[in-house]
Amino acid sequence: MIHLAKEDIRHTLGKFTVTAMGVGMLLGIVLIMIGVYRGMIADAEVLLKDLDVDLWIVQEGTLGPFAEASRIHEDLKYTLKGYDAIEKCEAITFQNIQMPKAEKQISALAIGYDIYGAINPINPHRLIAGRVLKSEHYEIVVSDKTLFKLGDKIKLGRNFYTVVGVTHGTVNSGGDPLVYLSLKDAQELQFTYSNKRVQTDRARGIINRDGHLVNAIVATVKPTYTLNSVAGELEKWLHKSVYTRAKQKEVLTKFVVEKASKQIGLFTVILVGVSTIIIALIIYTMTLEKMKEISIMKLIGLPNFTIVKMIVEETLLLGVMAFVFGNIFSHLIYDKFPKHVQLEASDALMLFIIVVIASIFASFIGVKKVISADPTAAIGG
Amino acid sequence: MSTNQAIKVENLNKSFGRGDTFVDVIHDASFTINKGELVALIAPSGAGKTTLLMMLGCVNEPNSGTIYLGDEKVYENRWLTKETRKIRREKIGFIFQAHYLIPFLNIMDNLTLLPQTNGVDTKESQAKARELLHYFDIADKESVMPSQLSGGQNQRVAIARALMNNPEIILADEPTAALDMSRSTAVVKMLKKIAVEQDVAIVMVTHDDRMLEYCDRIMKIEDKKVVFEK
Ligand SMILES: Nc1ncnc2c1ncn2[C@@H]1O[C@H](COP(=O)(O)OP(=O)(O)OP(=O)(O)O)[C@@H](O)[C@H]1O
Ligand SMILES: [Mg+2]
Repeated sequence: MIHLAKEDIRHTLGKFTVTAMGVGMLLGIVLIMIGVYRGMIADAEVLLKDLDVDLWIVQEGTLGPFAEASRIHEDLKYTLKGYDAIEKCEAITFQNIQMPKAEKQISALAIGYDIYGAINPINPHRLIAGRVLKSEHYEIVVSDKTLFKLGDKIKLGRNFYTVVGVTHGTVNSGGDPLVYLSLKDAQELQFTYSNKRVQTDRARGIINRDGHLVNAIVATVKPTYTLNSVAGELEKWLHKSVYTRAKQKEVLTKFVVEKASKQIGLFTVILVGVSTIIIALIIYTMTLEKMKEISIMKLIGLPNFTIVKMIVEETLLLGVMAFVFGNIFSHLIYDKFPKHVQLEASDALMLFIIVVIASIFASFIGVKKVISADPTAAIGG
Repeated sequence: MSTNQAIKVENLNKSFGRGDTFVDVIHDASFTINKGELVALIAPSGAGKTTLLMMLGCVNEPNSGTIYLGDEKVYENRWLTKETRKIRREKIGFIFQAHYLIPFLNIMDNLTLLPQTNGVDTKESQAKARELLHYFDIADKESVMPSQLSGGQNQRVAIARALMNNPEIILADEPTAALDMSRSTAVVKMLKKIAVEQDVAIVMVTHDDRMLEYCDRIMKIEDKKVVFEK
């Protein structure tokens, strides 16, 4: 049996391929954008996974340090340790810092933790050089993404910090690298005022006692207790907001990544829409170019089905080819992006289904043209 | 009903438009064309030759009357079948002034498309196509594209295409208009031969009086009426 779509495409292969490549690039960008979103979620979870804690105790009425400022007293951890249900708990700080490197400033998220504590945010599997923090002062562990090397000295606040360890794959939801400091250093960086401020405060009779603030207390719960009830209990007694691991993940994805996902979602919808319109227009012009032949085919008695099948198959093939090109394109360029792009097969599959459906829609105007074509149009009365 | 009848038309009427745009084209036409006959259809431009041909070919719908193709009544004030296209692809061969081959199909595929749609086996339709290409002296062209053939060669392929479905009727609208004298004569002679050998009724529109001598009868449209000469 003669395959009309195949023969027609073979006849216009160059144009067809170039179109498929063009649409493919759009679809590739769609894949990249979904990948950026996946990357953000994955990045956001790095810290949660590495910390591996069950509960987050943060300032009352706040969503916690990932979403907004949260200040809480370090001493709270001693109170918590008194609870039966709590296995381990530690104070932790988070702050965005700028690290000077040559002429540039490198943004990073600094995590302060008690180096003698039971909970360590540095995942030893991610350590690719050096060691974790051993001294309470002036040591720093950095993500390799900062480009700092072991032994480098970084000026933060008033002091120089020596790089003692380098980790890999450690970033926050914004793609900024993570660095790790001792809790004391971090508190000093975050909460101590300048000498001048301290002097004026003293002159006014204000004595700064806030050196022992942290941003959150993290805790693990003994396996015999249920997480949600412990969280509820603590919330009631401590007058703090308490989030379980799942809830904290939700805060991260819902409140922190949500805007980005909406933006990316909207871009994706627009790009898929644009791709559909391009495919539809190409198929439409390809159909218009064939109107004479289509009239003749109808006149000599070929059923509409044969002709419509050709149009729909061409559209589907264009969509599928564009999808394949899109995948090749996205895999070629994804690692050139500054943000972590995570391409997932399930997203590609979803896009494939969308492209197939969009292609069927795109073929409609061509098909309509075929059905309404006058068989005697070509022979001109 | 004689079994020799290929086309029978009774009281056929066709007009276009309404009110200001109304044109009466064919008025109360009645005639019979037999198998094996080559009938020339001549009339001035705009007289309704193509319109008549397209009604016989179940492409354009008349306003009223009756049409038989072979022994089958296909039209009586309305189409008697929903599938006029099926009648076309099974019973009728069309030839036009231009070849209208499908440019993205090679010669073989152009010829076998319709029979294959009719359910004829690929091998069988290809054998038939080869036979016809041989008959038309273009046996070596089966795998080339129409754009690689000359006008005359393409026109021969177009005639071959009209024969592929073993039609009972061939409707040819100025098949020689684009050809020079000697080629025109060759085509008309060929049509005559086909009419006789394959027992097909052929209605051929022509503006060229020199072609008339090869035709069995001459049909004219005079003042909206269909009349015969000779
Ligand atoms: N679809 C249509 N709508 C309105 N009028 C039409 C239509 N088709 C044909 N006509 C009119 O019908 C008349 C006959 O047209 P037709 O094409 O059959 O003439 P013809 O004899 O084939 O002419 P030519 O020798 O130029 O091909 C003309 O007046 C034409 O304008
Ligand atoms: Mg005409």
